[in-house]
Amino acid sequence: MKRLRLFSYPYLFWNALLILVPTLILIVLAFSDLSVYDPAPFSFTLVHFAIFAQSYLTKALSNSLVLSIVTTVICFVIGYPVAYFLARLSEKTRKVWLALLIVPLWANMLLRIFAWEKVFTPGSIFTDIFGLELNLLGTHLGVVIGMVGMYLPFMIFPLFSVLEKMDPSLVEAAKDLGAGDAAVFFKVTFPLSLGGVVSGVIMTMLPAMTSFVLPARIGLGKINLIGNIIESKFMKEVMGSSSLSINVGSLISLMLMIFSVISFVIITRFDKEGETLI
Amino acid sequence: MSKKLIELRHITKRFGDLTVLDDFNFYINENEFITLLGPSGCGKTTCLRLIGGFETPDAGEIVFDGKVINDLEPNQRLINTCFQKYALFPHLDVFDNVAFGLKLKKIAKEEITARVKATLKLVKLEGFEKRSITTLSGGQQQRVAIARAIVNRPKVLLLDEPLGALDLKLRQEMQYELKEMQKTLGITFVYVTHDQEEALTMSDTIVIMNEGEILQIGTPEDIYNEPKNRFVANFIGESNIFDGIMHEDYTVEFCGKKFACVDKGFAENEPVDVVIRPEDFDFAPPSKAKIVGVVDSLTFKGVHYEINVLVSGREYTIHTTKYREIGDRVGLAVDPQNIHVMKKEHR
Repeated sequence: MKRLRLFSYPYLFWNALLILVPTLILIVLAFSDLSVYDPAPFSFTLVHFAIFAQSYLTKALSNSLVLSIVTTVICFVIGYPVAYFLARLSEKTRKVWLALLIVPLWANMLLRIFAWEKVFTPGSIFTDIFGLELNLLGTHLGVVIGMVGMYLPFMIFPLFSVLEKMDPSLVEAAKDLGAGDAAVFFKVTFPLSLGGVVSGVIMTMLPAMTSFVLPARIGLGKINLIGNIIESKFMKEVMGSSSLSINVGSLISLMLMIFSVISFVIITRFDKEGETLI
Repeated sequence: MSKKLIELRHITKRFGDLTVLDDFNFYINENEFITLLGPSGCGKTTCLRLIGGFETPDAGEIVFDGKVINDLEPNQRLINTCFQKYALFPHLDVFDNVAFGLKLKKIAKEEITARVKATLKLVKLEGFEKRSITTLSGGQQQRVAIARAIVNRPKVLLLDEPLGALDLKLRQEMQYELKEMQKTLGITFVYVTHDQEEALTMSDTIVIMNEGEILQIGTPEDIYNEPKNRFVANFIGESNIFDGIMHEDYTVEFCGKKFACVDKGFAENEPVDVVIRPEDFDFAPPSKAKIVGVVDSLTFKGVHYEINVLVSGREYTIHTTKYREIGDRVGLAVDPQNIHVMKKEHR
């Protein structure tokens, strides 16, 4: 088995090179006045934090937060019953339903976003077939529907995985002790699925909060999320119109990264075996 | 005789194509410790789950205290269950596990606390209230499961192989404690096990089951001493079973010799099964004994030796405290009342 370890080195090296090193660069950029296009002696500074006082950034932050929370809540309300239903199916029918959930995920994400975009445009295929005139581009509703469609499976899978592993005799025991269906759910099933709920919420909320292609396309750039701001900060300097804006983008990215790490810690706290992580 | 508390009438239960119970009938008396004993797959657990309400019969009636309860949900029955793998709630501590049923009944807080404490004392888990379930040993979890059930003061407690996961010493201790508890509480216990020793130790009544059928119902003594057929004799303890012929009342022939016995009522020259328990054989001087053989193997079992004696090509198993060397010529004697004659099973 020791020799097997050798085969893990390429990927570990890859990770170090393309994740660890860029992260280190990100940290340096975020706290310094080092210019990417003009490397010269630089000094550390906290001046980039001023960005958090800008109204367009706080607006994007609150957009990210509100939209991702709304998306997560909707995903939870739709996803929990689905996961519960899936967990109680016989193995054969369950596979069919799981395939229906998983296979669409294998379609390219951009493709799915473009599909939403087309559907939300007036005169789309929906109009031809159902006579339904959807004009949701550039609206919050459109972005939320798109995000729910995109991230719902990430809510369902962790919930499904805890519900499926739950010992059915616990439900029987609760009934045996006098619990009706509602009491069984609220006193046993739901509390025992909390690990999955935490994972599901984080795994839906994080990508929703950081998504940027979807709000850019479906929101038509009118609804900016934090990811869109980061993108524009980086693009501005690439285009040469503003110097040191990559440093500001790095700082925002770093904040998001810290947020992700904290979320991961929370998941592992609630789900010690990691059974809900996919 | 006390009154019938539970009755199963003509119960049939199928799982898909498999018929587990077919026209199954038996009753349980109030305050009785009854054990359903049989090999795995014999339908004993299904029987228990029908009583608990976790399965519904395909045909027949389950009667509780004079009322048909087929359609009652488990939570509406005055019956509690102690599950095979305990099924304790991992998100609750010991106190909340035990208090689960009482809290659902909206009983006053002080009374819940008092009853839980008293029950934990009964199962010798005082001071364990705040412990998490996962930190308990198997025996302690077992006790919590029992406490969680009996704190509700059910009329009937169903126990599905509750001691299966425990080691021998703990199992024996718990057998004794369960029996004591049943006597003190005056609750009817319906116990399912495949362990014959457990059944003999604890039960008032044993129901021997095989392939969804009841083979024999009786007290432990009855079943041990007067097994109805070969299967029961084999299942309850080790046995020597011989093919025999009942010549007339009180005379049976087996192994080519005639023996006096205490059985009667068979047809003349009826073929029968003869059972002799290993501990009922005694050594006798070979010159005087009807059965003479050579010691073939000897195993020390603690309390006794298990000696296999080869008698004209057939092994006899004997449990005795007397020592014999391998190769010794020995005679075997058996008292007439220890020769059990059973009707042949017709298959």
